Amino acid sequence: MKKVVSIDIGSTWTKGALFALDSPAVVAKRDTPTTQDGLGRGFLAVLTSLLGLPPGTRLADLPRDIPVYFSSSAKGGLAIAAVGLVPNLTLQLAKLTAMSAGGKVVRSFSFSLTEDDIAVLESAPPDMILLSGGTDGGNTAYLFENAARLAASKLEVPVIFAGNRAAASRVARILEKKDVVVTENIMPEIGQMNLEPARDKIRGLFLDRIVAGRGLGEIVEVLGSRPKPTPLGVFELVAAIPRVRPDWDDLCVIDMGGATTDVYSNTESYLETDTVVLKGLHEPRNKRTVEGDLGLRVSARTLWDAGREIILEGLDKAGLPAEAMEDFIAAIAADAGLLPSGEPQKTLDRILAEACVFLAVSRHAGGWREAFTPQGRVFVQTGKDLRRVKAIVGSGGYLSRSADAAVMRGALNRLARPAEERKLAPERPAFYADAAGLFPLAGNLAEDYPVEATALALASLKPLS
Amino acid sequence: MSAPAIVLGVIGADCHSVGNRIMEGFFSGEGFRVVNLGVMVSQLEFVDAAIETDAAAILVSSLYGHGEIDCQGLRDLCIEKGLDRIILYVGGNLVVGKTPAAEVEEKFRAMGFDRVFRPDIDLKEAAALLRSDIEARRAKAS
Repeated sequence: MKKVVSIDIGSTWTKGALFALDSPAVVAKRDTPTTQDGLGRGFLAVLTSLLGLPPGTRLADLPRDIPVYFSSSAKGGLAIAAVGLVPNLTLQLAKLTAMSAGGKVVRSFSFSLTEDDIAVLESAPPDMILLSGGTDGGNTAYLFENAARLAASKLEVPVIFAGNRAAASRVARILEKKDVVVTENIMPEIGQMNLEPARDKIRGLFLDRIVAGRGLGEIVEVLGSRPKPTPLGVFELVAAIPRVRPDWDDLCVIDMGGATTDVYSNTESYLETDTVVLKGLHEPRNKRTVEGDLGLRVSARTLWDAGREIILEGLDKAGLPAEAMEDFIAAIAADAGLLPSGEPQKTLDRILAEACVFLAVSRHAGGWREAFTPQGRVFVQTGKDLRRVKAIVGSGGYLSRSADAAVMRGALNRLARPAEERKLAPERPAFYADAAGLFPLAGNLAEDYPVEATALALASLKPLS
Repeated sequence: MSAPAIVLGVIGADCHSVGNRIMEGFFSGEGFRVVNLGVMVSQLEFVDAAIETDAAAILVSSLYGHGEIDCQGLRDLCIEKGLDRIILYVGGNLVVGKTPAAEVEEKFRAMGFDRVFRPDIDLKEAAALLRSDIEARRAKAS
């Protein structure tokens, strides 16, 4: 019977599962706190336990007949600074590329990089910089200028150049003293996307330069398996599921964590009709967004800032004063591992969670604005249409433990309220919980075993009413 | 020198797409690198596309009579965004009613358009003018 191991090194927990592939099933699951001072130790503890080996077994003595897949989002995940030219065009695509490669956009810059921008990057260097701008044959001036600024900086992180093809060789020369990788343009023509080559380079760099720096180099060397950034595995799983099971087309996954909230969607982003005109980018079918300011613990304070209006409304409905939320946020700041005990903490947590889902989906989804023309009324669409999404899976601590769909449904109901811009959020989805926390682990298999990964992920879902 | 890029589109809340498609085909055939933004294009979209593509000219169409309002400030926006030397053309049924063509032209020139075209313009002629305007601007720059 063919078996594989999948392990995900998260920021707090290292989780693993032993999967049987012939008739896909979970054979064993283990987890242990992530060993921050050496990610490899926690990894090895989970691995030996899954394989039934005595603790302390060395990496070199492991059996080689069971393939090991793994991912990591420890130590802040994959931090990327995105540089583009026009905010709505190449910069937006650069951000989408970074996020769909499993990265987190920590900084973004349009037009010229300034001295201050460079100083910001130098003071907190990201893991890599994605430099884009210009269509092929288009603008080069900004690219040369930005490349020169980066070249003159103290930054030592890799730079991926994915801009105007006509500028590529000169940009590479300007940056020759740096670690520069040149790839295809993410926007070869206005409105045309080409994200795959840059995604591929990001993934390659993650493996070659970043994983080694986080104490995982030995694992890669001995086991020969290549880790992914955790969100990339989930992205690939969400891409695979509808291919394997067409009845699961139009799928959305919301992964709400303590620090960030990720939204994944797999649905056609724009259906052309006579009355709907798309403006801006035609977004990809498979899309991931990650919100660094939305989360229930580490990011609770920024969530409170971003979602104050919604949160106050929730407090009002629950008959709680704003001070109750202030106190709760202060308690979370003192203990990021806080588990709500009794009331009103459980209600406060629920209010935060609903605001978090609302904001994350609102940012992921596009919208319609009404416009009146001599030819009649038309809708101007920007961004992605999620209305046809049939199933939403809640993942991450809070949503995977949910007993019902109240939080997700409440957030969607709020998105459906009439507004100047009509949000194109899912209209009539069924709700599920990733109750066994299997999405990241099945996600690691999605590239090599899409059928098995799909079966494992779907079997683990708990329908929510 | 590579083929110059030009940005085309129908400005404002105007959905007339037939002429726009004809222009795309024609100017491509004339050797321009055409970036067609289609219908209902905002000023910012014209400018953004021109920046990314390093376009030599923006050709704005307006067929529904509200061109004057829609085009107001496009030149200023170009300057603000750093497109100091871009050529701006506008053409179509630019105003409602029977305003004399010379008056219309004057109005749009005052807004900063380099050339103003009536709807019955011969496209061949427009392409020849565009080519000479681009050359003149390039000569001035170098």
